[in-house]
Amino acid sequence: MRNWFLGAILALATILALSLVAAAQTAPPQVKGHSPWKYYPMDRAVGDGGPAPKRDLTGTWAGPGSGAAVPKGTNIQSPTAPPLTPLGQQLFSQNKPIGKYSPAGTNDPHTRYCDPFGFPQNMANEIRGMTITTLPNRTFILIQYMDVWREVWTDGRALPTDVSSGKDGLDPKINGYSIGHWEDDYTFVVDTTGLDDSTWATKNGYPHTVDAHVQERFHRDSKNDMTLTITMDDPKLYTKQFYIGEEHFRWIPNQMLDDFTCIPSQVQQYLKEMGDPAGYDLNAPPQRTR
Amino acid sequence: MKTKLVIMVASIAALLAIAGPTFAHHGAAAYDMSKPIVLKDAVITSFAWINPHPLIKCDYKNEKGELQHWIMEMGSTPASQLIGWTRTSLKPGDVVTLYVWQAKTGLPVGRFNKVVFADGKVMRDTQTGADNGGRADTGVGR
Repeated sequence: MRNWFLGAILALATILALSLVAAAQTAPPQVKGHSPWKYYPMDRAVGDGGPAPKRDLTGTWAGPGSGAAVPKGTNIQSPTAPPLTPLGQQLFSQNKPIGKYSPAGTNDPHTRYCDPFGFPQNMANEIRGMTITTLPNRTFILIQYMDVWREVWTDGRALPTDVSSGKDGLDPKINGYSIGHWEDDYTFVVDTTGLDDSTWATKNGYPHTVDAHVQERFHRDSKNDMTLTITMDDPKLYTKQFYIGEEHFRWIPNQMLDDFTCIPSQVQQYLKEMGDPAGYDLNAPPQRTR
Repeated sequence: MKTKLVIMVASIAALLAIAGPTFAHHGAAAYDMSKPIVLKDAVITSFAWINPHPLIKCDYKNEKGELQHWIMEMGSTPASQLIGWTRTSLKPGDVVTLYVWQAKTGLPVGRFNKVVFADGKVMRDTQTGADNGGRADTGVGR
């Protein structure tokens, strides 16, 4: 009798487990007449979708540039930096951002050559959508714009401490070295350092060093909502912590994103035929650079 | 009249509904946004659906009969798609009227404002497509 009871419980548990797996693999709901292969910004998640699942950011998310009416963030598009150190001021003064100098006058390496934004700019600029997925020892952040992937190690290792000096043989990286942990059931914290300092920290030209320490806090607000807050500590360049900003994400019902990337040959065509002949006007009023 | 009003309200509502997506890469500091240049009976020579901004190229004969080759940029491809643009919206040989915010350099380049097709249909830019140079996708001034 006892074996029969245990067997029944086991069978029930197995069925439940399998049904959960099956549910997870079920195709997402489709709007009639819409292709499952296409991103439709008007097909939006409704409401908050219920409570946030615990320790789970997995899925494809619409960002502020997605067309899905994602709530606006703060500071993120054109961040205001804290006071700079003399070195910070010197480096910042060398950068000519597109918002002021237009494509013709900027020396933004992304605008002119499609060079990678690098981190942390690639989590704040042109954020249209992203996908997050996990392995047992890593979390991957896949950014739609420029088809970037970031690797966040969750196996308990510490961040490297001497990338800039090269003592342990590590080179700076475009996306740096990242580790992550769950601070609580809904907040995933990612710490990153070892950043290639040829990239700009922000679209409006603020620099960073190799030793900058950037922290991202992904908070799962609900089933359909996620908030990301980014801060940077870089005492060689900034006198205080740099609050880069906060941005919001919404769950995409069919989990598709569209395609948008910077293609060097097309950018060269654009600059030759359009951007450079158009010139720039430093006396123009401040421009929105969306 | 009532029907027109309903269509207008519905159009504005639709445009408002897709507000927010139009990440362009830069502002319009390089362009004279005071009044668009009107290129009547312009002949499309190329529509390059490229990043970061699609390019419209056309031939236009000015009042003196001089042939000009114009190039204008518009909102990014994903932003433009949201208000109905596709890579085939304009085709070589199309005869249209183009409105463009010309570059302050005075060269025949500029930021696209809107196009009026032979059948009267109008398509606009995302970021500078309103008649006042504001965003067409929100109806809000620039």
